[in-house]
Amino acid sequence: MDDRSLTTTDCDVVVVGAGPAGTCAAIVLARAGLDVVLLERGPFPGSKNMYGGVVYPRILDELIPSWWEEAPVQRWVTRRSTMVLTPDQALTVDFRSQRWGAPPYNGATAYRPDFDHWLAAHAEAAGAQLVCSTTVTGLLRDAGGRVVGVRTDRPDGDLRTRLVIACDGVNSFLAKEAGLYPPVDAANYTLGVKETLALPKDVIDERFGVRGREGVDIEILGGTGGVNGGGFVYTNLDTVAVGAVLKLPKLAAQRRRPEEIIAGLKSHPAIAPLVEGAEVKEYSAHLIPEAGLSMMPRLAGDGMLVAGDAAAMCLAAGIWLEGVNFAMASGMYAGRAAVEALRAGDLSTAGLAGYERRLSSTFVLRDHRKLRRAPSLVLSDRVQHVYPELITSVVERMFRVDNPAPKPGLRRIVRDETKRLGVRTRDLVRDGIDGLRSFG
Amino acid sequence: MTAVPSTAPAVVAVCLKWTPSPFDGGPLGPDEGDDRFAGVSPADRAALELALQLSDAIGASVTAIAAGPSAADRVLRDAVAAGATRAVRLDMAAGSDSRDVAFELAQVVADACVVLCGDYSLDRGSGAVPAFVAHHRRCAQALGLVSVDVTASASSVAGAPDGELTIHAVRRLDGGRREVLAVPTPCVLSVEGSVASLRRAPLRRALAARSAPVEVIATPPAHHHGAPAIVTPYRPRARTMPAPAGEDVLGRLRALTDAGTSGGRGETVELAPREAAARIVDTLRGWGYLD
Repeated sequence: MDDRSLTTTDCDVVVVGAGPAGTCAAIVLARAGLDVVLLERGPFPGSKNMYGGVVYPRILDELIPSWWEEAPVQRWVTRRSTMVLTPDQALTVDFRSQRWGAPPYNGATAYRPDFDHWLAAHAEAAGAQLVCSTTVTGLLRDAGGRVVGVRTDRPDGDLRTRLVIACDGVNSFLAKEAGLYPPVDAANYTLGVKETLALPKDVIDERFGVRGREGVDIEILGGTGGVNGGGFVYTNLDTVAVGAVLKLPKLAAQRRRPEEIIAGLKSHPAIAPLVEGAEVKEYSAHLIPEAGLSMMPRLAGDGMLVAGDAAAMCLAAGIWLEGVNFAMASGMYAGRAAVEALRAGDLSTAGLAGYERRLSSTFVLRDHRKLRRAPSLVLSDRVQHVYPELITSVVERMFRVDNPAPKPGLRRIVRDETKRLGVRTRDLVRDGIDGLRSFG
Repeated sequence: MTAVPSTAPAVVAVCLKWTPSPFDGGPLGPDEGDDRFAGVSPADRAALELALQLSDAIGASVTAIAAGPSAADRVLRDAVAAGATRAVRLDMAAGSDSRDVAFELAQVVADACVVLCGDYSLDRGSGAVPAFVAHHRRCAQALGLVSVDVTASASSVAGAPDGELTIHAVRRLDGGRREVLAVPTPCVLSVEGSVASLRRAPLRRALAARSAPVEVIATPPAHHHGAPAIVTPYRPRARTMPAPAGEDVLGRLRALTDAGTSGGRGETVELAPREAAARIVDTLRGWGYLD
């Protein structure tokens, strides 16, 4: 884009995107005394962001001690349910812990425009310069191809810097422009869609069996109208979010509208009583980098790091669905690696290797490596379309009373149902082994 | 560029009404520092753009003024990023009486050849501040402008025998009519939001403006201790309408909206200012608006 030899810089680091990753990077860098510019395309941090449920802010202990005393949390998740749906059946595994409703807490529901705005205020307090309503349109490079700045859509909008940290979200144009991404495959992405439904707080408390600031997170397998993916329901103080995560090629092939799928989910007999009478306040949608390790870009280039969704850090592994904590952690470690590299004066790919080293030694890449098979297993046709019916049918027969016939044994029920559904034993065993390798 | 002949540099002032967030923070309670939904109206942004265009044309500096708590500094710094040369905040509580705000503003804009305001604020307040400022300045006013010809205004200096700047503008009247104005300076103008789109601030100015100084002027206690101003949603004044005449729906609709009809209900008179003002007051009284 700009091959001039650039000898002066406007700041030490430009962080692109004031989401959780970019903001945590900016906090670390600013606290280290570096001159940081944090660019955000929305009118304020969080204004353009959405997600599917729960923040697990444990990683914030390192950046903002006692964060729970000030973070704009809606509810603390004390009930975590996993639900398997067929059109007329539902099996729920429900876990409740009152320990998660007290410090230091576990997970929380929050509105992203509140949470991201709050987090960015910490970056500004640390000295980062936040500039909103500014879209980065490209990279500036020197004659050798090293990234030396960014171009924005503002007049006089080039900003020269020693290091760029791209936290520009899923489908990162900057990481692609830098040549860090392999060819894009739509199968690696899902579309997250969500409705936020208003209900009085006491109605939510009663329907979901919680009190005060206690909250519920329900993750759902099935109920997505035949499109591979999953559903979710979670509680805010006076709204309930209902949504679905839908595999892009399947959604396109079925020519279904995502809002139809949410409507179907809301009308399911297991969900309808929870959201009956609610008023839709918001509909939102966002791409999700779902394939984990298999779609991650190279994390560093000369003069550039990539973090958060831009680096496909979102973990979508069935029973573990996490994104914001991976974004915050990757941003924080990018910030630390950047401080190290800037002090050493080496911003080459090799000089920035401390970033991947940090990710590899912590949960960020260790979890992704351990669960690398999980996304494809969870989104496979058998797990999506066959096993939910198999599980619910087995359970239905277990609890069905067929007197005067005697109760059948569990082995017989499983044998009958697998045969009825055409499930081959070798597929069942292979998926079981994959599941054990991933989750075991 | 046409310079306004004067011993002192010309100043164009723009008054920006900062309005706090209309949201109460929901169940989590209000957050006084939350500036996400606070700010100024599109009309105020248009006034700022016009002030910048006018200052470019006549070689003036731009002073941006807002009344409010420290949270209002953000809109002033945005104005500096866009090109304003000076930022002044009157340290007043949000929602202060319009007369008090106007009195304090008039002191700050005393040296301005043109004072620009938006013709409405985000909270749809009374819209009376520009008129009160003009009253305190004892200068001309033109409110609710739909366009201002910056080039013609700047050119007026060269043609005027005394070198005075005259603002050429158009004002909206009832019934779809327009009034073409030549407003002598000093003057106070209020403009609609459609008059201009505020330019994007250059990146470096946006960064520099983050630490731009904002002059803070402490204001004395309110002069007007009457009933506190009550800000309510904007509602047009109710009027009793006669049943529209017309043989069919379209005809009645036309009669109701004046669409496609030529004048006839209006009256054009040419009077001296004093007589014109008296005539307006008499007419308003006749229509029952001053009862």
